[in-house]
Amino acid sequence: MALLEVEDLRVAFGASTAVDGVSFSVPEGKVVGLVGESGCGKSVTSLAIMGLLPKRRNGRPAPVTASRPVTVEAADGGTVAAPTGPPPSATAVAPVLRRRGSGADVSGRAVFDGTDLLSLAPAAMRRRRGKDLAMVFQDPLSSLNPVVPIGRQITEVLERHRGLKGDKASKEAANLLDRVGIPDPTRRLKEYPHQLSGGMRQRVLIAIAVACNPRLLIADEPTTALDVTIQAQILELLKDLVEAEGTALLMITHDLGVVAGICDEVNVLYSGRVVESAPVRELFAAPTHPYTVGLLGSIPRLDLPIHEPLTPIRGSIADVIRWHDGCAFAPRCDRVAAPCVAGEPALVGAVHAHRCVMAEEVA
Amino acid sequence: MLRYTVKRLLQLSVALLGLSLLLFAWFKALPGGPENRLLPENATDQQREALRAALGLDEPVWTQYGEFLARIVRLDFGSSLSSGRPIATELAERLPATVELSLAAMLIAVGLGIPLGYLAAKRRGTWVDFSTVSGSLLGTCIPIFFLAAMLKVVFAQELGWLPTTFRLTAGADFTEVTGLRVFDGLITGELDIAWDAVRHLILPAIALSSIPLAVIVRITRASVLDVVGEDYVRTADAKGLKPATVRGRHVMRNAMLPIATIIGLLLGSLFAGAVLTESVFAFGGIGSFVYQATTERDYPALMGFILVIAVFYVVINLIVDLSYGLLDPRVRVRK
Repeated sequence: MALLEVEDLRVAFGASTAVDGVSFSVPEGKVVGLVGESGCGKSVTSLAIMGLLPKRRNGRPAPVTASRPVTVEAADGGTVAAPTGPPPSATAVAPVLRRRGSGADVSGRAVFDGTDLLSLAPAAMRRRRGKDLAMVFQDPLSSLNPVVPIGRQITEVLERHRGLKGDKASKEAANLLDRVGIPDPTRRLKEYPHQLSGGMRQRVLIAIAVACNPRLLIADEPTTALDVTIQAQILELLKDLVEAEGTALLMITHDLGVVAGICDEVNVLYSGRVVESAPVRELFAAPTHPYTVGLLGSIPRLDLPIHEPLTPIRGSIADVIRWHDGCAFAPRCDRVAAPCVAGEPALVGAVHAHRCVMAEEVA
Repeated sequence: MLRYTVKRLLQLSVALLGLSLLLFAWFKALPGGPENRLLPENATDQQREALRAALGLDEPVWTQYGEFLARIVRLDFGSSLSSGRPIATELAERLPATVELSLAAMLIAVGLGIPLGYLAAKRRGTWVDFSTVSGSLLGTCIPIFFLAAMLKVVFAQELGWLPTTFRLTAGADFTEVTGLRVFDGLITGELDIAWDAVRHLILPAIALSSIPLAVIVRITRASVLDVVGEDYVRTADAKGLKPATVRGRHVMRNAMLPIATIIGLLLGSLFAGAVLTESVFAFGGIGSFVYQATTERDYPALMGFILVIAVFYVVINLIVDLSYGLLDPRVRVRK
């Protein structure tokens, strides 16, 4: 059994569904990628696992919006009619809703080391967060408290989960800063986030996350807000840390370069559901789902002629069909056909799995 | 921090100089100069000229301004035209009462307003939030003098729980140190006096606190709502910290920044409200003094009052700015 097993995770904010039945697992000590473009539900998935989504106050079910018919242009020029629901507007949905105070409906299971995290009481979850599983966030400036010295922001987690106080905590915090590659750590402890560079801040966030030697580290786009050179350093650091401690890492990213550089296994997410999952080499060697193919085609490559145009995926993630009506990617897909919108596509395959009914025919 | 403080102090002296200029120009521009107040209506023009010369009103404007500044620096605001006593003495006698009243009102406003505002934000959209917000709306709507009179009628006259007027029971034997009665009672060990002063303070302080309380509730609510959506609060939650730690160290410390500014501004404006409250409770602060000075065209008295209030305002703002430096490290000037 893997360290973390996510089964049929669903997250809805009112009428819009952000995560629509995601299942994947993170084996002990492995680096697993969760890949997709903005709005596919990757961040919401990670926040749901960490129990950081605002809970709905009353258990009212989300209102159901009636489906309206749309037509999908098929590859052969004809049209395929398909019912569609409201698009899952997952983009930045979490911060917005935190502010509004309305909550998320979370269902499914996230079994971590034998315990379903989603059914834990808030206090029990607080005892595990930051200790057994920890998270590194995307924006290192806004994720650190601007009015508290970074030393205190590290020692508070040591105090909470490891019972370290005073000098002992400060010493350990300095050790941690040293471990994440911050020079002159004792002096840095007294500084505030605005006195550090972006890369340094991300190192501080990582130091906070690994402070209690968690068994699972979740990194949500940890390099997106950084310069390319710093990105590489941070990736190296994460890689070293998880290798040294045998920590499992769930890497959430839209960057396939990051995936290739660090991940053992990859799950490609589209519209709140896994559309393809495979060991990293197999995914890059033989992408099966047209969305994965499209993602790979959208990357500029040095080994192609200079004026070779990129092949972007047409449309946007807002053009969507609900998964139980057909393939959500159908409106943007080049090989769409009638079977694509005739009900829910299943995830087929074991080691290298995909969710495309047309895959065999194309192959 | 030292450089920041010095910089702030320099800015403060510029502000005060500008203020003295404004004040001087304003009094020069007012119709019906002081000689008309002092002389009988049938005085001759020679008598007026003689008095103007005696008061130095015939000197060039800049000389008058220089003289004006020099006297201010010596805290010599002249004598009251109605009582004949030095203004500085009058103010010094009455100021402690107003300061004590304002501080008590602010204590109530802050002590009640911040927790209520926090609660309203946390329970956003519930009846707690609704009643707090509408209550604070009510608080800003009720005129202070009406609230003061109602409190006095109900709790002092009808129920008799608290005294109706004055700062102490008549004939009380007390030792004066700072003029702040509660504080004096505590430091001299005259606890009965301190308690008596508290009882006299309660009603006027509640009346005076209504507006700042309402404002602080609303600012706190808005500020907390802003901060709880911040990424660093999510980081704090992700560390598994206890809710009290997240609230104190991460939410409130950031939410305090706008609240501190508002508290400073409100403290200044409290003096204006004190004029009304003091007259209802015959509290004997600068309120009644100003009221009298206005109706009697007692210019030196008004001038002294405005200057003192202005200095208070500026000093309070300085304190707020400095506390900003303490609260927010980003404001501090780097060495």
